[in-house]
Amino acid sequence: MALRSSKPGTRVVRKKADDVQGLSITSLLDVLTIILVFLIKNVSMEAVKISELPDMIYPTTITTENLMENAAVTPVKIYTDRVLLGNDNQLLGSPADLTENPQVRSDMVNYLRYEFNVIPEDKKDDACLIVQSDSNIPCGYITEIVGAAVGTGFANIYFATLEDEQWLQHHVSSTGK
Amino acid sequence: MAVYRPSQARQQKGQTAPQEPNLIPIMNLFLTIIPFLLLMVTISQVALVALNFSSDGGGGGEGGGDGGGGDKAKQIEIHLMLTDNQALGLFPGMEVREPGTDTVRLPWVRENIYDFDGLNTLLKAMKERNTSTEEISIVAHNDVIYDTLIRTIDLCKDNGFSTVHYKSPRSTYYY
Repeated sequence: MALRSSKPGTRVVRKKADDVQGLSITSLLDVLTIILVFLIKNVSMEAVKISELPDMIYPTTITTENLMENAAVTPVKIYTDRVLLGNDNQLLGSPADLTENPQVRSDMVNYLRYEFNVIPEDKKDDACLIVQSDSNIPCGYITEIVGAAVGTGFANIYFATLEDEQWLQHHVSSTGK
Repeated sequence: MAVYRPSQARQQKGQTAPQEPNLIPIMNLFLTIIPFLLLMVTISQVALVALNFSSDGGGGGEGGGDGGGGDKAKQIEIHLMLTDNQALGLFPGMEVREPGTDTVRLPWVRENIYDFDGLNTLLKAMKERNTSTEEISIVAHNDVIYDTLIRTIDLCKDNGFSTVHYKSPRSTYYY
């Protein structure tokens, strides 16, 4: 709509609004590319197999070690009420069955042997068993699993923990020594 | 025959301004991949403690550490016990056996609380005496809980005993 000017006989013409500038996403794209490359380099698919399990209490440690490169990982999960084998979480039985039930021990050995045999020959030295156990499990059950794994050829055994550099200090303060 | 005229380019008409590439599909892809990768990075924060095996057949719970015979390097041993049985020499706590020195006993501070502080002090002293020694053995009795074993391994590694052997007091054979 034309506006009236203070000067008679003339009209004020409103200027046409400037076109809205397009949002430049080039810099954002650069940042995303850098993040993507960084993440792809750091993400290990083997690490997914040893993700923190929500319903398990892990022991804590000051020291941590990296998983060996090119590891052929077989996880074993020991809960207080069940033992799960492999990436597909096959139910083996209860932890007590590891020491009390010969059939369960035999099944475990057979499974570990199968897992070891499917690893390609050139990666057999990198066969790696990762024990993810609840911190309240008796060592006798851990010993059975570790013994079976070593017997079937797994040369690398790792225990999954959570890093806590202060656990000793907390322990000292809790004991009041 | 076409004649080359350098100034012709200035007079060309109908030439359009260079178009910006359409980055929206790439952005969509990135925005899908990045949260996925971030999720995987977050869930892989589990630390690992590696285990070593004795060359004398005592590792991995395959024996009492006496297998193999012959010359066996004397190693520092930490026995983790829970059962209280004086007749069998068992008590709730830790026993540190260092060749050439007296055995040190570290009983529970209180029920189910092991003396990790005492063990840490002892390991530091042992490392000062044996700077070149990197091997140590842990003999975990079956009733000791896993947390105690891991913390003991952790203290050994933290004090410079990088090669920790795991032994079981009883023999188990699968083959």
